[in-house]
Amino acid sequence: MPLVGNIRDFGLSDFLYLVDRGYKTGCLHLSRVDEMASLYFDKGKLITATRKDDNAPVTDLLVRKGKLTPVQAVQAAQAHQNQNGVNLSQVLISLDLIGRDELQRVLQQHIEESVYALFGWNEGEFRFEQGQRPDPTAPIMPTPLAVEHLIMEGVRRIDEWGRIKDRIPSTDMVVKFIEQPIERTKGINLAADEWRVFARINGKDTLAEIARKTGMSEFDVCRIVYGFLTAGLVDVIRKPAPVPMLATGRPLAEAPRVKKSLVTRIINRIRGM
Amino acid sequence: MQTVKMVISGAVNAGKTEFIRTISEIEVVSTERPATDDTRLIKKETTVAMDFGRIAIGDDLVLHLFGTPGQKRFDFMWEILSEGMLGLVILVDSTRPETFRETNRIIDFFMSYRETPYVVAANKQDRPNAWSPEELRLALRLPSHIKVVPCMATDRDSVKNVLLELLDVIMQRSED
Repeated sequence: MPLVGNIRDFGLSDFLYLVDRGYKTGCLHLSRVDEMASLYFDKGKLITATRKDDNAPVTDLLVRKGKLTPVQAVQAAQAHQNQNGVNLSQVLISLDLIGRDELQRVLQQHIEESVYALFGWNEGEFRFEQGQRPDPTAPIMPTPLAVEHLIMEGVRRIDEWGRIKDRIPSTDMVVKFIEQPIERTKGINLAADEWRVFARINGKDTLAEIARKTGMSEFDVCRIVYGFLTAGLVDVIRKPAPVPMLATGRPLAEAPRVKKSLVTRIINRIRGM
Repeated sequence: MQTVKMVISGAVNAGKTEFIRTISEIEVVSTERPATDDTRLIKKETTVAMDFGRIAIGDDLVLHLFGTPGQKRFDFMWEILSEGMLGLVILVDSTRPETFRETNRIIDFFMSYRETPYVVAANKQDRPNAWSPEELRLALRLPSHIKVVPCMATDRDSVKNVLLELLDVIMQRSED
């Protein structure tokens, strides 16, 4: 069953997070008015992206960028016809028509730019088709791309409070690391300002306090933290309010403790209904 | 007579009234009125105050089920309803990702008020395009220890299962 919705309600960065953490394989189709794009993932990593007006074979792209001659493109296409289960990118490498690293660099740059442009969409229908694979002639990267990096870069291009406030409603909120953040930052290149904020995260300071300590604007701090949050590096929580105490000495904010025997009675009753 | 309370919350049209109606022993006291704001685009009637259902556990013990109103302008009711509750069911319409942000807002509200045992019920799992419980967990960014239970609010066994999962969470926090 496809996952459907609108990126107005469930943003592209949220969807990329879901794909990454859900280890998903399939295609995310995005469409609005006369534009369409398709992002293909393999086990949570991006392998290629195509736009409606730019879905030519990888060989056409490489010829256009001067990385392949038309004759080499035909040679690769002919060789590809005789191979099952192999994509055209792999054929190009096996024929030594282009080096693996060079192919990765060219395709990654092309695909990243296609994806970053999508972060500018404020709305558009999405449909995720599980298990759907790209055409084997598509510009498939030799090394799939981790989406945290895409999320961070995409979020850098967001400049609206509205979207940020959905996740960070107040600058009085506290930022804390999720477990093992260093593991997750390995695929991400942080800019200098992002490092400044990253280094100030201690699970105690609010966003407003981080802004004050770094000398940055609250908006810039929130935008950067929004990126960390969306990439799954940090969590943003409300600053715990002072807990009023009851006369019994029990904190008011603590849920009432009940006896196991009472819970057992309710369980037995509901089971018997 | 001792009474204990569970609260059923969620965004507009998540299925709160139906959930309580399916399990309550009494006719649900529901204050549904024609929707007057954006809600009417989704449903003709909505709960403007609250739903109330009841399950007798024994001669000396009663479980009350309260459904919160989904509309934002009735937020103040949530605090009143949450006072003294045993646990909380957060219902999500699994077919409408546009309600996920609102669902997160509701969870944030209840958790900021007190550390309450809760489960998330992924409702309308019988519908086409329903997001699976695991997909909902990722979409709502719920930690792994929070249970996301598949649910069909019109099905008694399914509602029972949600309540039993919640009771299991409550049991882990209860005292001898």
